[in-house]
Amino acid sequence: MTWLVGLCLLPAAGWGVFLFGTPALIVLAVSIAAAILAELASTLPFGRFTLRDGSAFLTGFIVGLLMPAGAPACVPAAASAFAILVVKQSFGGLGRNWMNPAMGGVVFALLSWPGPMSQWIAPKGGAVQGAVMPPLEALRAAMAGPGAKETTPLAILSSSGFTFSDLDSQVLGWINTHVFSPMGISLPPGTFDVLIGHVAGGIGIVSVPLLMLGAWFLLFRGIIRWHLPVMYLGTFAILAAVFGGLGSGNGWFAGGPGFHLFSGSLVLGAFFVAPDPVTSPMTNKGKCIFGIGLGTLTFFLRFFGSLGDGVAASIVLGNCAAPLLDRWTSRRVTGTQGGAA
Amino acid sequence: MTYPTKLPRGGVDPPAETLVPRDSGITNAAVPSRALIPLLQHSGKPALCLVKPGDRVKEGMLIGNADGSRSANVHATIPGIVVEVGEHCLPTGEVCTAVAIELGGEFETSGKPRSRREWESLSRLDLLERIRRAGVVGLGGGSIPTHLKLAIPPGSASSIFVANGVESEPSICADDALLREKPSDIMEGLRICQALLTPARTVIALGEQSEDLVPEFERLVRQKGIKADVAVLPSRYPHGHEQLVLAALGSRSPAGEQSATVLNVATLYAIFEAVILDKPLIERVLTVTGSPVSHPRNLKVRFGMGVRDLLEECGGLSSGAAKIVMGGPMRGVSVDSLDLPVTKVTSGIVAFEGLAARPHAELPCIRCGSCIEACPWNLVPTRLFKLVRIGAAAAAEREGLSSCTECGCCAYSCPSRIPLVAVLRQGKHALRGSDA
Ligand code: SF4
Ligand code: SF4
Repeated sequence: MTWLVGLCLLPAAGWGVFLFGTPALIVLAVSIAAAILAELASTLPFGRFTLRDGSAFLTGFIVGLLMPAGAPACVPAAASAFAILVVKQSFGGLGRNWMNPAMGGVVFALLSWPGPMSQWIAPKGGAVQGAVMPPLEALRAAMAGPGAKETTPLAILSSSGFTFSDLDSQVLGWINTHVFSPMGISLPPGTFDVLIGHVAGGIGIVSVPLLMLGAWFLLFRGIIRWHLPVMYLGTFAILAAVFGGLGSGNGWFAGGPGFHLFSGSLVLGAFFVAPDPVTSPMTNKGKCIFGIGLGTLTFFLRFFGSLGDGVAASIVLGNCAAPLLDRWTSRRVTGTQGGAA
Repeated sequence: MTYPTKLPRGGVDPPAETLVPRDSGITNAAVPSRALIPLLQHSGKPALCLVKPGDRVKEGMLIGNADGSRSANVHATIPGIVVEVGEHCLPTGEVCTAVAIELGGEFETSGKPRSRREWESLSRLDLLERIRRAGVVGLGGGSIPTHLKLAIPPGSASSIFVANGVESEPSICADDALLREKPSDIMEGLRICQALLTPARTVIALGEQSEDLVPEFERLVRQKGIKADVAVLPSRYPHGHEQLVLAALGSRSPAGEQSATVLNVATLYAIFEAVILDKPLIERVLTVTGSPVSHPRNLKVRFGMGVRDLLEECGGLSSGAAKIVMGGPMRGVSVDSLDLPVTKVTSGIVAFEGLAARPHAELPCIRCGSCIEACPWNLVPTRLFKLVRIGAAAAAEREGLSSCTECGCCAYSCPSRIPLVAVLRQGKHALRGSDA
């Protein structure tokens, strides 16, 4: 099961390696190796061998996918080791940890090395070489400065001097003239790049379509249930749409939820991390409430916080509430009068 | 026809291996040359032995006398000579006295038409006495002596009476076969129960696989002038359980209240035989199935027949057979000896191939919640299991441990293959130990 989740993440990982080249491969290899070594170091002395359950591998893999490709090797290594040794094994290993190890590791790295955690690498075929930023980070920088007057995230980006790839302008130019101009619409520059993930960013989170492909497979096979991801993404999208424009002085209903859904690690978090059975509630009702909570937290952390894109931090915070939700949502035992718990 | 008002939640859908050909009917199993008849084939106290080695017994003769009211009579299932009376193991692991009979002598009743007795003028007590004398017990799995379920305080009436034709386990289709073969006799049994219970509402609950029988039963209801509805319920396991059948029909039976009565259709047939044909309960229909069985089928089997003989009747086993289970695939007990006898509680015999029987290593609980989804009783199996494992059976009891029916859905759906049912059962034993 865990192995299958890893398999579903492979397409997105492949895309990241393709875009960012060898550095991405090194980051992934280092984080996986560190997770596995940490697992071995913490279980073998007690005579247990737990690699076969795949959970250490997956933790390392997800930590790596969230890293910028240019991060120095010590950062993913430390994040994975922290995830396994502190977050998972100090509570007794698989099934006993209350916090998602990968997210714990990533938050740890964000807090400890904010600089190296933003060593982005320009995507292959991208417009700017050298100092690049993922669209989300660029947007936040632009909004922090004065004078953002435009109404959508992509327009703000364009006016702040953020450039997209030539491919983007070619594809959009063609689509706009042939498909949309008769209808009087025109897609803003950047749509194509953001949509397919042809931008700088974490290795495995830039390509939302490929992540969705894997997520669809997980849903289809019944490995995850829809409740949590749907509630999570839905809550976030609604909040972003309604209140997202307030920060940039655009007023209500101007948040650009589409841009935000396709940026940062939201999709990876909603489908591959938050549903982690160990750290999410067990009941369906609990999963729904959990998803709504995560969506709200992510919204606040992303729009008003400073810790990365808000996904990792909100999952870590949400994990605290999971056991409580289990208690609240257990049902009355059939044929009895009292509560179950 | 009525429809379920509320679909019960939980349960599991194991691959429905209906290996028994539909409409293959019921085959009469051969008369065994030796029958080993336990005196405990019901829930309650074992019957008291009335015979000793060397005695000659006739078919249907009483050999075990019910010990008080929470017990049931046991009869000789074949004519012959008692060769042994001794302690034997039951499939459940309990030990009780069993009577071994070596076949010999005349069949005085089998194969001869029995005259029908009139019953409508009988008093309630006489009817109950006939049922009790014949040793009728619940054949759907509960094996509670039936006269206990039908004896309601004089003057009271039951709110709902259900003739349960929903199969109790996947792969088992003995009830369906009986419904097809003996619809009229089952309805006669139902009328007798109605006379005893005077229920406000009667429902004939059929499983999905028997849906085509609805017109037939509605015709019988009209023809006999019975007040009853026919309902089709989902066959998802374990929704044939009486409490879940009641829940699906929109009625709950709070523990301890006697206002709802559910009897399996095979039990109704046994009541018919007892009251009208004056025939004690000495045989039942059961399903022998599983991929290693050459000819899976429904058989009418005399109690005491060995599992080995019964499998022979079905063409024997292929070499791949790795595990034999008495009962159904979900709740059945794996047997370690093919000499164990069929009893009143045996609803089926299922053989498994090597792969399906292979044990798996237990992994840690990953809190996935599958067991919670599967439990039809809304329990939180993973929590109960953890409490029992740390020795806190009393705490588990406060969270509903005793409501667990050991249906096995939780263990079936657990991706970590944790033997949840086995652990919960230990917990119940621990509780009983601390009570005593
Ligand atoms: S065995 Fe008990 S706990 Fe498990 S699903 Fe059945 S009733 Fe629920
Ligand atoms: S199904 Fe198994 S692994 Fe999942 S919560 Fe229940 S006991 Fe734990």
